[in-house]
Amino acid sequence: MGKPNDGKPAITPMKQKKDVQQGTLALMVLKTLDVLGPLHGYGIARRIEQISGDLLSVNQGTLYPVLLRLEQEGAVESEWGPSENNRRARFYRLTRAGRNLLEAERSDWEQTAAIIARFFEVKAEDLA
Amino acid sequence: MRALKRLLARMGNFAARRRGDARLREEMEEHLAMQTEENLRAGMSSAEARRQARLKFGAVEAVREQYHAEEGLPFLESLLQDLRFSLRQLRRSPGFTLVVVLTMTLGIGATTAVFTLVYSTLLRSLPYPQADRIVAIHDTRISGQSTGGLMSVPRYFDLLARNRSFASMGFFFFDQSTMVAGNRLPVAVQAAGTNAAFWDVLGARPILGRTFNAHDDQTKMPQTVVLSYRGWQKLFGRDPGVLHEHITLDGVAATIIGVMPPGVDAPSGIDMWHAAQFSASGWNYRGEGVRFINVFARLRPGVTAAMAQSDLNRIGAQLQGQYAQTDGMWRFTSESLRNDRYGALRPALLALQLAAALLLLIACINVASLLLSRGTARQREIAVRRALGASARRIARQFLTESLVLATISGIAGLAAAWALVRGAAAKLPGRLSVPGTIEMHWPVAALAAAVSMLAGIAFGVAPAVESRRVALNTAMKRGETRLGGSGHGLRSALVAAQAGLSLVLLVGAALLGESLWNLVKQPLGFVPEHVLTFSVKLPWDAENAAITSFYDAVQRRLEALPGVLAVGQISALPTKDWHLRSNFDADWLPRIPNQPAINAEDRSIAGNFLSAMLVPLLQGRSFTDADTRLRQPPVLVNQALAQRFLPGGNPIGRHLLAGGESHEIVGVIANIRGTAGSLSNPVGPEVYWPADSPGASAQGRYFVVRTRSMPATLVNSIREQVHAVDPLQAIGDVATMDELLDKSVAQPRLNMAVVAAFAGIALLLACVGIYGVVAFSAAQRTQEIGVRMALGATRGQIAGLFVRRAMMPAIAGLAVGTGLALAASHLLRSQLYGVRADDPRIYALSVAALLIPVLVAAMGPALRAARTNPMDALRID
Repeated sequence: MGKPNDGKPAITPMKQKKDVQQGTLALMVLKTLDVLGPLHGYGIARRIEQISGDLLSVNQGTLYPVLLRLEQEGAVESEWGPSENNRRARFYRLTRAGRNLLEAERSDWEQTAAIIARFFEVKAEDLA
Repeated sequence: MRALKRLLARMGNFAARRRGDARLREEMEEHLAMQTEENLRAGMSSAEARRQARLKFGAVEAVREQYHAEEGLPFLESLLQDLRFSLRQLRRSPGFTLVVVLTMTLGIGATTAVFTLVYSTLLRSLPYPQADRIVAIHDTRISGQSTGGLMSVPRYFDLLARNRSFASMGFFFFDQSTMVAGNRLPVAVQAAGTNAAFWDVLGARPILGRTFNAHDDQTKMPQTVVLSYRGWQKLFGRDPGVLHEHITLDGVAATIIGVMPPGVDAPSGIDMWHAAQFSASGWNYRGEGVRFINVFARLRPGVTAAMAQSDLNRIGAQLQGQYAQTDGMWRFTSESLRNDRYGALRPALLALQLAAALLLLIACINVASLLLSRGTARQREIAVRRALGASARRIARQFLTESLVLATISGIAGLAAAWALVRGAAAKLPGRLSVPGTIEMHWPVAALAAAVSMLAGIAFGVAPAVESRRVALNTAMKRGETRLGGSGHGLRSALVAAQAGLSLVLLVGAALLGESLWNLVKQPLGFVPEHVLTFSVKLPWDAENAAITSFYDAVQRRLEALPGVLAVGQISALPTKDWHLRSNFDADWLPRIPNQPAINAEDRSIAGNFLSAMLVPLLQGRSFTDADTRLRQPPVLVNQALAQRFLPGGNPIGRHLLAGGESHEIVGVIANIRGTAGSLSNPVGPEVYWPADSPGASAQGRYFVVRTRSMPATLVNSIREQVHAVDPLQAIGDVATMDELLDKSVAQPRLNMAVVAAFAGIALLLACVGIYGVVAFSAAQRTQEIGVRMALGATRGQIAGLFVRRAMMPAIAGLAVGTGLALAASHLLRSQLYGVRADDPRIYALSVAALLIPVLVAAMGPALRAARTNPMDALRID
C-alpha cells in the first residue's frame, strides 16, 4: 500500500522530525503500564508526555496503532472499563509476556547505552 | 515467536474481514473528550479546547489508516482488490482477453511441450539405480567408418579380464528370432542375447520371477528367457502364469524365468532377452564377423568416467600391439548411458527448445504491445484515478496485476494444451522417443511452465506499467490533447523491430531445416522404393547350409509365382536399418602392406533378383548367376563409391578383392544405395555385395524385397502362407513397405522441420498482427493530424506512405538485427543440416522477403484506410 498523500508536503505523523520511533514508543508504553498499572490510551499519552516533555505532544494518535501492535504480540491486554467521567474507555494492562519483553528490552537498552557511554568517555591516551 | 503470533492475529483479522474501526473510533472520541475536558480545566474556551485537543491528537485519518494497516494484511487486501478489478476489466473486453490468452497459450504451450521432451531425455534420471554410473563402451576405428560402436566378442572378453574400472560388464546383441510357444503359430520376435552381468550393470529387478544368473549363462546350459514388459503384454497378454512356460526360440527349447518392469527397455523395442552363453574360450577368431555386441558397464565405486576411459585406452593399446592384424585399427571409447541413448538427439532438441523460447518471447512482445495500446486508451482512467489520490506506483501495480492474471490464465491453458499434446503425440514421436514411458510430463515440467508464465506476465506487464507512470495529469484530463504527439511511439517501434527480428530467426531456422529435409528426400536413393514390400525371415543359428539354401530357394520361387509380383530379391540387411558388417580387403591392383588392408567396406549378401526387385542400376558388368553360388571363392559386386575411390577412372571388372587368403573376382558395379548402414544422411561408403548362398557360408537371416505391380492388401497374407508352406516352423517379421522404412528414417528431421516451421508460421502471424495493430492504432490516434495535413495539401498517397514508412522503418531495422541473430543461431543447427550451408544467402534473402511482404500488407491496410479519411470529418472529431 502506497503511503497516503504521496509526494505532497503532507502533515503525516510518520514524517515529523521529532517523531518517536515505533520501537521506542512501544517501550515507553510498556514501562508506563508497568509502573502505573492498567490505563486507557489518553492516560498513557499523558504520562508519556509528562515524563518525556513535549516529545509526544503533537501526535498522540500514533499511540493507538502501537497499542494494537503490542496487543497482537500479546504484550498487553485490553478491555472496556469505566473512565473517570463515567464513560466507557479501553483499558490496557501489561501481560506476563509484556513484562518479560520489557525486561529484555530494558537490559538491551542499558547495554547499548553503557557501550555508547564508554565510547563517549574514551580519550586518545586511553587507546595508546 | 512474537512476530509469528502477530502474523497469526493479522491473518485471522484478514480472513474474518474483521475491522476494529468501531473500537478505534470510540477510543479516539474518548481520548479527545478527555483532552478537551483537560483543556477546559486549564481555562480555554470550549471551541479552543476542542481545537487544541484535535491538534494534539494529530491527523485522525492517518492514524486510522495506520491502525488499519497494523490490523490486517494490507498488501494482500489490495492485491485481492486488484485481482477483482483485473478480472472485471478482462471480462469487459472479452476480445482483447481472448487474443492475449491465445497468444500466450501458444507460447507457453510450445515451450512446455518441447521442455517435456528435453526433460524426459536429457535431464530426468534414467530408470535404473545410479544410472549415471553406467557407461556404454564402443569399439571405434581409429580412422574411417566404425560399425556403430559394436564390439567383437573376443575384445569384450579381453576387456573383462584386464579392466580395473568396472564393477560389472554386460552386453547385448540383437537377435531377430522366431518363437514358438505351445501350440501357437510361430511368431517373429525382437530378441536380444545378453550375459548374466548385463542385469548387474542395469541394476534392474524383475517384477516376476528372476533374471538369468552366471549358472544359466554357461555354454550348453538349458536356455532361459526373460520377457520385457512389452513382450509379456504383446505375446502373452500379461499372463502371470507365464513363468516356467516352455517355448522354442529359433528351434532351441527355452524356459521363461522372469518378466521385467516397463521402464527396462534395453535395447529399445525389445520383446525378450535370452542368455547368450558365451565363454571366452569359445571365441578365438578376432575378425570383423564377430563384431556384433553392444557393451555396457557399471563403474566401480570411486572410479570416474575419465579414469575408466584411460583404463580403456591402456587396454586398447595393449591389444593393438598384441593383435596388430585384427585389432591394430581399433580403440575403445566410452560415453554415459544417457549420451548413448539420447546424445544424438541433443542438438535437435536444444534447437527446438530455442525455437520454442523464441516463440514465447515473440508472444510476450506481441502481448506487451497490445497492452501498451490498451494502456494508452486508458490514459484518462489513469488520470482520474491519480487525481483521486492513487499513487503512480499503486497504478503501475494494478497494471502488473492485470498482466499476471492474464499470464496465469494462459499458463494454465498452455500447460493443459502441452499435457494433451504430449499424451496424444508421445507414441507417434520418431525412434526411441516413442517408447512408452519415455516422454511424460512430470512435476518439474509443470513447475517450469508456472515459472515461465509468471516471468512472461512480468515481462509483458512491465512496459505498460512503466508507461502508466508517465501519464501527465493535466494533459490527459483535457480531451483531445494527447492525440497529437502519440505517446510511447519509440517503445512501440522497438517492439515491432524485436518482433520482426525474432520472427526472422525462426523463419531462417525453418527454411534451413526444410531445405535439408528436401535435400535428404529428393537425393537419388540408388533404388526405387515405390511398390516394394519387405519382410524378414530368420532361420536357426545351427541350420545346415544346404537346408538354408533350399529353404530360401523354395520361398523365392513361391513368391515369384504369386500374382502381381514382378520381382523378388533377398538381402542380409535392408537400407535404412542400423545394421553393420564390415570387412577388410586388399586388392590385386593396389600395393599390399602387412596389417594395413587397403579397403574397408560394408558387406551385404544378396540372393534372388535383388537388383531387379529394388531396381538398383547395374552400372558395369553383370549380376550374380546361379553358377556363382556354387563357387568356393565366389565373385562379388562392388558399389560405385568403392570403384571411384579405389580405382578412379579404371575398370574394376575382372579385378580381384583379396581377403583371408581368398580371391574374389569383381563381376559388376552397382549404383550407390543410400542408407545401407543407417541414416540416409550418411555419405555412401565403399560396399561389397556377396552371393548370400555359397558353399559353406549361407546367411541364416535375410530380408525379402518383393516388387509388385500394385500393393494388394492380401499380399502379406499370401506371403505368410507361402513361407508357412515351405517350413511351418518359420514366421515372417518386420513387415513394411520400403516407403514406410524411408519415411521412418526421415521422421526425426521431418519432425524438427515441421515444429520449427509451425513456430515460424505462428511468429510471422503474430508479427503481422503486431504491426497491423501498431499502424491501426497510430492512425486512429492521429486522425486529427491527418485532417490537418490533408487540409494543408497532403495527398492520400503521402498520408498512406507516412504510416507505412513509420511502421516499416523499425521492422526493417529489426530484420537487419535479426539477420545477425539468425546467423549466430544457425550454428546450433549445423549438425541438423544436410546439403545446405548454415549461412546460405539464398535462405536469408528468401526469409527476409517472406517476412517483409506479409508485414507490408499488414501495414498497408490501416494506412490506406487512414488515407481515405475525409479531412472535414477528421478535423471535426471531438
